[in-house]
Amino acid sequence: MTPELTVLALAGLLQAVQFVLMSVPANLELGVGKTLSPRDRERLGGALEDQLSAKTARLLRALNNHFEALILFTLAVVVVSLSGQSTALTAACAWIYLAARIAYIPAYYFGLSPWRSLIWMVGFSATILMIVASLL
Amino acid sequence: MFSDELSILLVYGLITGLLLGAKVTGMLVTVDMGYLLSSRDENRTLEGMLGRADRALNNSITALALIAPPILVIALRDQSSANSLLAAQVFLAARVIYIPAYVFGIQGLRTLVWTAGFFATLILYFLAL
Repeated sequence: MTPELTVLALAGLLQAVQFVLMSVPANLELGVGKTLSPRDRERLGGALEDQLSAKTARLLRALNNHFEALILFTLAVVVVSLSGQSTALTAACAWIYLAARIAYIPAYYFGLSPWRSLIWMVGFSATILMIVASLL
Repeated sequence: MFSDELSILLVYGLITGLLLGAKVTGMLVTVDMGYLLSSRDENRTLEGMLGRADRALNNSITALALIAPPILVIALRDQSSANSLLAAQVFLAARVIYIPAYVFGIQGLRTLVWTAGFFATLILYFLAL
């Protein structure tokens, strides 16, 4: 098991943690009557995500953002590991990715600008660097 | 274990990453920096070519999530064949055309190449199974 795969497993757990961080306040705010329903807009009077408080909506956007980042990161990790191209550089990139994605959550929640964007850029660059490294 | 399909997957991942970079760059130019760096509490929809790039990106990410499993399974089981390589190549070509077809609003072509990419994905699942 390469260090990148370990980080990938941790990133998967982070996704689960982010889901809980979002879903607990979301259910408290909206009530299970709304969240367990089929969420039809006409019945709820608009999209469910628009009815969240500002901070919970930030947690939802942070969760969705990690979904996208994770798809690219998974691809990078699996290819690096499968092709036996794991190096100190790709392992470092993986850990940097995880650190950035963890820091991204409070940065979003507390509205830290421009840090959220910079942290996002760090995670994104680390992923792209891994992909480029395994292509070379 | 490194198959040519994996290289194609990597190239496609890179293209998706570049499209994401292009979208962010486009937002830097058209949307004000303050909003971009803010927590985006107010939902703004992107318009025109940037909106199309955004939708093309979302579609590309969905396609990436779907194509990755069969390519990885084929590589893991050493099932790579001329057919699976061809399907992966068709997928990549289709998805590369898809982006400008969407951004420049070429009707018909966009749907055509999307369908080609989708069927290539299904064929890869079939081959992997």
